[in-house]
Amino acid sequence: MHANDVKMSWEEVVEETRDFLSEEFEVDRGLILPENNLKDTLDLDSLDYVDLVVLIEENLNVKLTGEDFKEIATFGDFFQLVRKKLGL
Amino acid sequence: MLITREAITQYIPHRAPFVMIDNLINATRERFESDFAILSDNVLVENGFLQETGLIENIAQTCAAAFGYLDREAAGAPKIGFIGSIGRLEVFELPPVNATIQTVVFPTHQLGNIYLLKGESFLEGRILLGCELKIVVAG
Repeated sequence: MHANDVKMSWEEVVEETRDFLSEEFEVDRGLILPENNLKDTLDLDSLDYVDLVVLIEENLNVKLTGEDFKEIATFGDFFQLVRKKLGL
Repeated sequence: MLITREAITQYIPHRAPFVMIDNLINATRERFESDFAILSDNVLVENGFLQETGLIENIAQTCAAAFGYLDREAAGAPKIGFIGSIGRLEVFELPPVNATIQTVVFPTHQLGNIYLLKGESFLEGRILLGCELKIVVAG
């Protein structure tokens, strides 16, 4: 089930995203906050970014590119990008 | 047939006795396909069977040959790639000496110079091994 397939509110998308990021990257859900750094919090190396792209595509049906990540520092940036791509 | 075993080393950096692919049968941006005959003197054969490492290497070299072929088609020189990680590995069966296996690889995602690919090898239609590879292509 994707955010695009059903009428999910933006808040529901954020909460679902926090859930699957927390589970996949084994990070405390409470650390996935808009002000926190995405790379540092999830402890991402360059290969992990591919997993992140796959995860977002599988869960939210949103395709991200390498260019997209140039603008992302925090989870806030990341959520705004996803929101823009979802058209919410 | 896109590349025969006689020409395969023009497209991949591997050299004997570590060449684990014979012929590149097909290569598009969506699908790679190769075959490989398991000989008794293969360095990754043990007790008459090609080991899991040989099957994984065969998938990786199928990627190398296909990327090399596609690079040349695009009028560029083949680039060197490295296995970044191996995931979702499933081993079902090992092929015996004298068998010829078929390998199919699907590039699923690209992020910059990192490719995620899903590969599977088969013997007479039966799946032998499947895995996901992340391949980092150098400069």
